[in-house]
Amino acid sequence: MTQQPQGQKGKTGRAPEEMPTSFGFTRVAEGSKQALVDDVFHKVAERYDLMNDLMSGGFHRVWKDAMVSFLAPPKSNASGWRLLDVAGGTGDIATRVVRRSGETVEAVVCDINESMLGVGRDRAEKAGLADHITFTQGNAEDLPFPDASFDAYTIAFGIRNVPDIPKALREARRVLKRGGRFLCLEFSEVDVPLLDKVYDTFSFQAIPTMGRMVTGDGDPYKYLVESIRNFPSQERFAEMIRQAGFERVTYRNYSGGISALHSGWKY
Amino acid sequence: MSEPSERPVDRKLLELLVCPVTKATLEYDAAKQELISRSAKLAYPIRNGIPIMLPDEARALED
Repeated sequence: MTQQPQGQKGKTGRAPEEMPTSFGFTRVAEGSKQALVDDVFHKVAERYDLMNDLMSGGFHRVWKDAMVSFLAPPKSNASGWRLLDVAGGTGDIATRVVRRSGETVEAVVCDINESMLGVGRDRAEKAGLADHITFTQGNAEDLPFPDASFDAYTIAFGIRNVPDIPKALREARRVLKRGGRFLCLEFSEVDVPLLDKVYDTFSFQAIPTMGRMVTGDGDPYKYLVESIRNFPSQERFAEMIRQAGFERVTYRNYSGGISALHSGWKY
Repeated sequence: MSEPSERPVDRKLLELLVCPVTKATLEYDAAKQELISRSAKLAYPIRNGIPIMLPDEARALED
């Protein structure tokens, strides 16, 4: 499913260096993006996964499962294999990885949003996975972990909310061990004729409406949709990952590019 | 007895964490539920068992 490099398209033409001041389509002052993003997730934390179901037609579960299959965590953990899942506050990815390993590996969830972490920690306890999944509040741009401390770094539907993406990518590389794997799942650029039109209509009109019905507030979802459109295309994002020092960088599209999985290795 | 909301912090996680600013090791103050970064002169709070590793949320230490 790996796509050939594709040409530039106008839709996601915003340069990566402009990302820090891009909040959806509303330009915001430098430094205030993080506060606005925090507010979005405080508002939606409780029903975040439900909204993801509605926004992706349930497909986010399929994509996340595919990401975990691609990661292929070990089935035994003699070597102390450890995952860092960034921006995964509700523990969605960490839970999948730990279960896939036969409950052998260790996962650390790091999210900047307290509300999301609270939801995730409660779920991990209910699932009996509290010994395998730990939670900490932290910033993807300044991770609270030593160099070379993880075997894998995952971030699912989180990177586009980070104000300084190149910095977050460098931090990802820093905390990975040599031979460690970087995987990023993110809404991306639809590359199928007609599907892009349908998806545009769905996302700009249906998603904020559903958001208002489910969470009582459509604005956070308006932000989510617009932030997806501002995110660099598959090929540009792959280049950003290479610039952070990762090697063997590839990507594969899911559902015609509604989301894409980027992969890189630290050597 | 502690409240159900006052959960213990995971020990393995404490051993792993470093200061996000200086990447130096931290000291655990169990009584205050803080992680002390001498190099950054900051005390990061642990709330409800979750370490809050954000300088904006940390208490500044006096010299």
